[in-house]
Amino acid sequence: MSAIEVQDLKKFYGATRAVDGVSFSVGRGEIFGMLGPNGAGKTTTTEILEGLRAPDSGTVQVLGMDVIRHPQDIKERIGVQLQTTALYPRLTVREVLDLFATFYRGGKRSTDELIEMMNLGEKQKTQSKDLSGGQRQRLSVALALINKPEILFLDEPTTGLDPQARRSLWEVIRAVNREGTTVFITTHYMDEAQTLCQRVAVVDGGRIIALDSPDALIHQSFRETAIEFDQKGTKAPEGTYRSLQGVTRPAVRENGHVTIYTENAALTLGGLTDLAEAGTIQFDDLHLRRATLEDVFLKLTGKRIRE
Amino acid sequence: MKTFFQLYLSNLREFSRNRLAMFWSVAFPVLFILLFGTTFSGTSDTTFNIGVAVEDSGTIGSALAQSFDGVQAFRITQGTTADLLEELQQGKLSAVIVIPDGVSAAVLAGKDANVEVHYDPSNQTTSQVVLTIVEKVVGGFEQSLTHQSALLTIQPVTTTVSSLRTVDFLLPGILAMALMQLGVMATAPPLVQLREQQILRRLGATPLSRSMLLAAQVCLRLTIGLTQTVLLILVGSLLFHVHIIGNWIVLAGFVVLGALMFVSLGYLMSGLAKTQDSIMGLSQLINFPMMFLSGLFFPVDMMPSWIKPVINAMPLTYLADGLRQIMVGATPLHSLQFDLIVLAAWLVVCAVLAVRFFRWE
Repeated sequence: MSAIEVQDLKKFYGATRAVDGVSFSVGRGEIFGMLGPNGAGKTTTTEILEGLRAPDSGTVQVLGMDVIRHPQDIKERIGVQLQTTALYPRLTVREVLDLFATFYRGGKRSTDELIEMMNLGEKQKTQSKDLSGGQRQRLSVALALINKPEILFLDEPTTGLDPQARRSLWEVIRAVNREGTTVFITTHYMDEAQTLCQRVAVVDGGRIIALDSPDALIHQSFRETAIEFDQKGTKAPEGTYRSLQGVTRPAVRENGHVTIYTENAALTLGGLTDLAEAGTIQFDDLHLRRATLEDVFLKLTGKRIRE
Repeated sequence: MKTFFQLYLSNLREFSRNRLAMFWSVAFPVLFILLFGTTFSGTSDTTFNIGVAVEDSGTIGSALAQSFDGVQAFRITQGTTADLLEELQQGKLSAVIVIPDGVSAAVLAGKDANVEVHYDPSNQTTSQVVLTIVEKVVGGFEQSLTHQSALLTIQPVTTTVSSLRTVDFLLPGILAMALMQLGVMATAPPLVQLREQQILRRLGATPLSRSMLLAAQVCLRLTIGLTQTVLLILVGSLLFHVHIIGNWIVLAGFVVLGALMFVSLGYLMSGLAKTQDSIMGLSQLINFPMMFLSGLFFPVDMMPSWIKPVINAMPLTYLADGLRQIMVGATPLHSLQFDLIVLAAWLVVCAVLAVRFFRWE
């Protein structure tokens, strides 16, 4: 039995189609990601799964339970971290954790264990209104872990964290996942989805536009290599790069930064060198890289995720 | 039960660390009673500034003038008639006594003589007291002149009259105000804050039941209401010797009724206001008219009659009236049963509407 089963989910706010016919299923023990820009419908979908919002239509089964009809029953078995992380502003970290612990019946993680896990030791006596954004984010994740949930829902959990804190949160997520917890995570960070998730649903405008493992997504969309460089001096005329040998698609130009996708990097690089020698273009900081989810998103939607 | 206790404790911590809510519900009423109590509870130190002008050049005129010096309630200024009358007009003197020229001569000749007292009749208390004293002094002086003993003397017998001092009147009113602010200022805005910051939403993602959440919040408010009561009564009776006559159980019951009523009003307000800014405006909009139009600080019959319908519409009027009757035995505006019924009706209406308009997000 899968952990989450969603069929044709729809939620409209007036003319806005926040969630527009989404279907997917998440297996037990999986780390499943929803990747997309702000406003893609990630939060709305997540909150429907958590039983916090009713959809306009569609069915949702979480751990075999119909959360739309019985939103209260599932709450004992899931852990929820919301995007807004405000809590009782004048309670300390330890007090908030102690309070939330009394809401759950079953086997629980102790407050000490959670403080240790989320590295909040120094801040345990700080009132939540005095925490930094990142600290509040970690407290918010700690609250989601109290009841040893079967499914952990994380809505953009690393927003506002510094790189080191992000990596240590990923470690926590992997650790609870190894203990058997299914993880449902939304993010607009490509690297997060790519390194953390076993499968990723790429969403835009309330629809899933691709769904597979990060590697499969990249390989399906791209057999190409990306060549990137900063263009100096005069702009090359439109179509210059497209006509180079090996190039598969029009180049992407952004503020002088050029990305060319090629099936044959050697041939394309040769062509670029010729252009440079002829004085048509000048470039700086040229490098090759494999395609990423960012490229997948760009290819599928024609825009970058963080615009 | 453990959940309830933890929730109650957390709400208590949250509340007691919130300076604004603490100020309105605890410090503000105490400050009020300290301020008003100090202003109105002192023994009335009534001395009158009296001008005495002696135009008479004989011995009797000056002797009569001297006899006013003996009156403790008078602070005597001597001067010419013209000067003193000007000071009277400027309000520096309460009255001016003029002993006209020829008084000595007239008295010695056995004729009638007049002593003039100039005063402002619009100031009734002063003029009556001053006139009475002047008459008495002049009468005594006359007796000493004629050496007749008075046939009737006054034998003073003291007795304590149970009249309410201002501070006695104010204490129950300020308690009523505190209970009103508990709902209007210390319940509604924090609740909107919990909702706006999606804290209610986060709690909604746990198995915690909503009725448990509300029960803990309402119980905390009742605790605060009873604490306010004890605090105000302590300050009132220890510092200002307000004598609480009422039955404690009746008093506690009335306080709980009042607190519940205004807390439900607070919940209703939080349901009606969308943002934190609008709830602050709405709170003040309700707080101030209630404070001043419910007869908290002065008796309702002192207010102009056109405002009476407004006063009668305010639930605070009935809470204050009831508390005044229970605590200090004040003259009822309405019967206690009537106050009770009006408050209970307000409670039911507010509670029903609060449930109807309550929003978790």
